[in-house]
Amino acid sequence: MHRYSGGGIIRETAIETCKLTKTFVVSRGITDLIRRRPSAGGITPVDGVDLLIRKGEVFGILGPNGAGKTTLIKILCTLILPTGGEARVNGFDVEKESGRVRESIGLVTTDERSFYWRLTGRQNLEFFASLHNFFSDDARYMVDELLGIVDLKYAADERFLNYSAGMKQKMAIARGLLNDPAVLFMDEPTRSLDPGAAQGLRDFIKKEIVEERGKTIFISTHNLAEAEELCDQVAIFDDGKIKVIGTPADLKASLGDGSKLSDVFLHHTGKRFEERGGAGVTAPGFRRDRRGLGRGGGFGRRRGGV
Amino acid sequence: MIAIYRKALSFVRRSYVLQMSYKFEFFLRLFFMFFNILTYYFVAKLIGTAGMKYLEPYGGDYFSFVLIGIAFSGYLMVSLRGFSESVRDEQMMGTLEAMLVTPTDASAIITLSTLWSFIFASFRVLLYLVIGVLLGVSLAGANVLAALIILVLTIVCFSSIGILSASFIMIFKRGDPINMLFMSTSELFGGVFFPISVLPAWLQTVSHLLPMTYSLNGMRHALLQGYTLRELTPEIGTLVLFSAILVPLSLLAFRYAVRKAKMEGTLVHY
Repeated sequence: MHRYSGGGIIRETAIETCKLTKTFVVSRGITDLIRRRPSAGGITPVDGVDLLIRKGEVFGILGPNGAGKTTLIKILCTLILPTGGEARVNGFDVEKESGRVRESIGLVTTDERSFYWRLTGRQNLEFFASLHNFFSDDARYMVDELLGIVDLKYAADERFLNYSAGMKQKMAIARGLLNDPAVLFMDEPTRSLDPGAAQGLRDFIKKEIVEERGKTIFISTHNLAEAEELCDQVAIFDDGKIKVIGTPADLKASLGDGSKLSDVFLHHTGKRFEERGGAGVTAPGFRRDRRGLGRGGGFGRRRGGV
Repeated sequence: MIAIYRKALSFVRRSYVLQMSYKFEFFLRLFFMFFNILTYYFVAKLIGTAGMKYLEPYGGDYFSFVLIGIAFSGYLMVSLRGFSESVRDEQMMGTLEAMLVTPTDASAIITLSTLWSFIFASFRVLLYLVIGVLLGVSLAGANVLAALIILVLTIVCFSSIGILSASFIMIFKRGDPINMLFMSTSELFGGVFFPISVLPAWLQTVSHLLPMTYSLNGMRHALLQGYTLRELTPEIGTLVLFSAILVPLSLLAFRYAVRKAKMEGTLVHY
């Protein structure tokens, strides 16, 4: 398996965007729709984004809330149509070949509501497997394997509503891997986790998804340590624009010895980066997920079973 | 084709498990169905032969007439509510986005999501008919094949209206005019509780614009009087015509709605 190390290895492109732009029109109401009056204004969360991400790379997009990270991911996952520019994922155009794009990607979100809470973990995964055209024995075998990978076999037949926050996040990862995607999108995967669980998830992503399976990962994060720990390349993203791209080490080195990624962010955006969660420590603004922790939470196996 | 069939099974299995996780509600719904039927049974007893003039073309018995009306109008209710509710439910549960990021097409997801509602509606119709027979309704001379053809056309027709309704929900989130229009007019003008011949002539014009009128007319003639396919040509032909117009129109509308929601980034908003 090749990991991109900054040079020497020429590989195919996994994600490519050219002047990708999304402007949301702020409509005045039903009368505007009828009269075809365009808008009362607009916001542009993605503004002329150029990206080139190679296969097997872990690419992090680092930005504050409202920077446009989720919108960018949703465009690349074909859930939102761009207003301008182009984007290709695994060589397929996100607008014209959206079906082919969806066949080759997985999406991991933090929204725990995106599962059926009254179904078991296994039933959930088997249902989503069928949407990827895997049925019967194929689906069962694959789901079983994935449950093993995310270490949830022991809780597979428990209802999803009994899972802790960390287990739900593992399920989201298992679902993202159902179709063995070439590119895995992860939208702030550690957002709702406590520091220990977040570290566990990062270790899991590094070992199981990157090192073992060599997936291309596009990860959006609000966490500097996470970006530094996981990503081969990091893009500082603010106000819908990419301010700078580089390896974490290069970005820090560009500002001189002893600089941190937060200094890079300040330098390129003029804003102080307010972090929500740290790697292993509780950083300012961190909120505990009471449900997850109260039920024996954390990313690892729950004590006492489920 | 096989993939869509297997996906359909997967959707039905999911809905069944979800439904059965609320067993109490499921059995309550079945239980209170009996009360509904009994109400009309006694209303029919009260009416006796008073409405004979209007009921003559349907065999003359009010209970048989209204039983078919309430049983099969359920399909319209399921279609009108089913598609838009499945869009809204998946939006509210947060599962819609996770489904739309798979290779399965949005129209297939919405259509398959309503399958369980149709299965449940069919089960209810069957139960209505069984109870009806136990209470004296005669289906001895029923033309089952013709009834099945009318049933399929009814489902296709009503589903198209349901998909149109879901398109509005996709864009406006609430306040769907299609649902309101058909819900409020079909029971009154579609001949669910009384023959449309009771209405003044100018109001009967409205009835003739509704697929429900032809669907119930055909179903009553097929089940209660055993009309042949040839005799049912006007009803079947009109339902085919409705379907030919409504199916492509609803699919186009839904495609437009999904595109517009993707453009506005409101696919999962509710």
